[in-house]
Amino acid sequence: MKQIALYGKGGIGKSTTSANLSAALSGMGLDILQIGCDPKRDSTRMLMHGTFIPTVMDLVRERGNAELSLGDIEFRGYNGVRCVEAGGPEPGVGCAGRGIIATFQLLEKFGALKGDVILYDVLGDVVCGGFAMPMREGYAQEIYLVTSGELMSLYAANNICKAIKRLASRIKSKCRLAGVICNAKGQPKEEELVAEFARRVNSKLIEFIPRDRVVQLAELNRKTVIEYEPASAQAARYRSLATRVMENTSLTIPTPLEIDELETLAYAYI
Amino acid sequence: MHTSRSGGCTLTGALSVTTQVLDAASIIHGPRGCAHHNFSLFHATMPDNEQATLPDLVSSALGESDIVFGGEDALARSIQSVCERDVAVVFVLSTCIVATIGDDVEAVCGRNWPVPVIAVPTAGFLGGTFQEGVNNALIALADLQEPSKAGPCVNIIGEKNLEYEVEENYAEVVRLLTLLGLPVGIRFVHNLSPDDIPALGAAQLNILRDPLLVPVGDHLRQRFGTPYIPSFPTGLSDTLAFITSVADACRIDARPALGTERTLQAEVLTDFADITDAQGVFCGPVMDPESSKAAREAADALQIRIGGSPGAYPLPVHPVVGTAGVRRMLHRWRRAIHA
Repeated sequence: MKQIALYGKGGIGKSTTSANLSAALSGMGLDILQIGCDPKRDSTRMLMHGTFIPTVMDLVRERGNAELSLGDIEFRGYNGVRCVEAGGPEPGVGCAGRGIIATFQLLEKFGALKGDVILYDVLGDVVCGGFAMPMREGYAQEIYLVTSGELMSLYAANNICKAIKRLASRIKSKCRLAGVICNAKGQPKEEELVAEFARRVNSKLIEFIPRDRVVQLAELNRKTVIEYEPASAQAARYRSLATRVMENTSLTIPTPLEIDELETLAYAYI
Repeated sequence: MHTSRSGGCTLTGALSVTTQVLDAASIIHGPRGCAHHNFSLFHATMPDNEQATLPDLVSSALGESDIVFGGEDALARSIQSVCERDVAVVFVLSTCIVATIGDDVEAVCGRNWPVPVIAVPTAGFLGGTFQEGVNNALIALADLQEPSKAGPCVNIIGEKNLEYEVEENYAEVVRLLTLLGLPVGIRFVHNLSPDDIPALGAAQLNILRDPLLVPVGDHLRQRFGTPYIPSFPTGLSDTLAFITSVADACRIDARPALGTERTLQAEVLTDFADITDAQGVFCGPVMDPESSKAAREAADALQIRIGGSPGAYPLPVHPVVGTAGVRRMLHRWRRAIHA
């Protein structure tokens, strides 16, 4: 079983990438579980044809742990992909990080963490211990950074490298950086920049996903690109990403950059 | 990490105040355990101070989903259910976890409840001590009161409700004030009725239990214009100095009271003539500078030699308040010497 997590700056396209990756992986005949780890709860929405599935935390709040079964929290979406949303509090109250931890404990209790690939789609940044949960022992061992060529997006990716490096230093930890996915904004020399960033942090660019209007069209039709336009070049990119993820054996401990190095790097690719 | 008397839990400090307000309930907003271990502490301590009633503690009993989604609804439910009982005032004390997740306790307390609901910030992990909890609770309660015209009374501020001799120490201060002809106002806060709290703003002088309460004394001076004496008196000479300070603050003549007190102190020393010339060594349980100073002064007055030679008697040192406190200490020494 492969357990992977996608991290990256908010709004960079993690959920779109995750859903399309899960759809592409399921097309390879694999049993996929996608877990949205973000109180926004929209990670799996395209796989579920626009439906916001009930979140684990909402169900726990309404019914209590004891009344829940796996069938209440796990939903089958496009091509049999199993979908779970952790959920969490309204913005500004409570503790979303604890919600992630509680969700993982419940999924373990139900024995839901199985299949060929588990894909964790995690909120923008590692803001507290709760959002590092998918990186901790027993969960995702392969971390993918999703970034564009924009400086702030690279900055967020670099911060996640710091978190992976810190966690990797723990003796039992198997968490490693598996690669960088460039979800392009369409700026010039973007692929070269992100590839160089990946090399500098001791990793590699796994896939370059160009900006394409079909992504928006698919979303407006409440589908992944894989489902909406399977013959498109964009769908081929996601399938290529899926193949590379499955074949990837290059797992590294990242070497995060200092902020001035990062700025110099971005400047060099204007 | 080493624990000390100046450490402690902010929540427990605040509870040592709020549980002394009659007809009041204290809601501890947090997991059940935060209420339970405090309940046990007060249950065990209060009978020693001749208070048989159990503290009225209520827990908002937060569970994991309250932490994830925020605990404000659980707090509102607790306040609602406490208000349905016959209480005059409700205190809400926060815990570490609710301060971590950022519950807006003040906003919930500020809703339109039928009785005053007072938020006391008491999250211990923020670095506060037991004493800071005491001070926060006293200040929160004081802020509900309005200033009024100062009368002749002297109020007692911040008694240590968990110390063994709380009643004896209070009685000693009352005795000294009575020597000066000063009426005693309220004990803020010990066994205090909510009806009496408005008298907080009507004293001509406040007397603090000890100097750690100076922030409270300053706050009361600012709010009500009441000057304060920063501590109960701790030994023989300090008791005389206390009489002088109080008399000066109240613009009365100290001399008659000083004369009476000097006579009493001389009688006390005469009563213990049988232990003069003994050889002793101080053995605690307290070693703070004030108590040590009071003990050394009493030893000097009785020509008791203090030093660690063989055969020295172990002389206990407890916190001492006033001449009566010195007398109780000398009784303990006599028992040690004649044992």
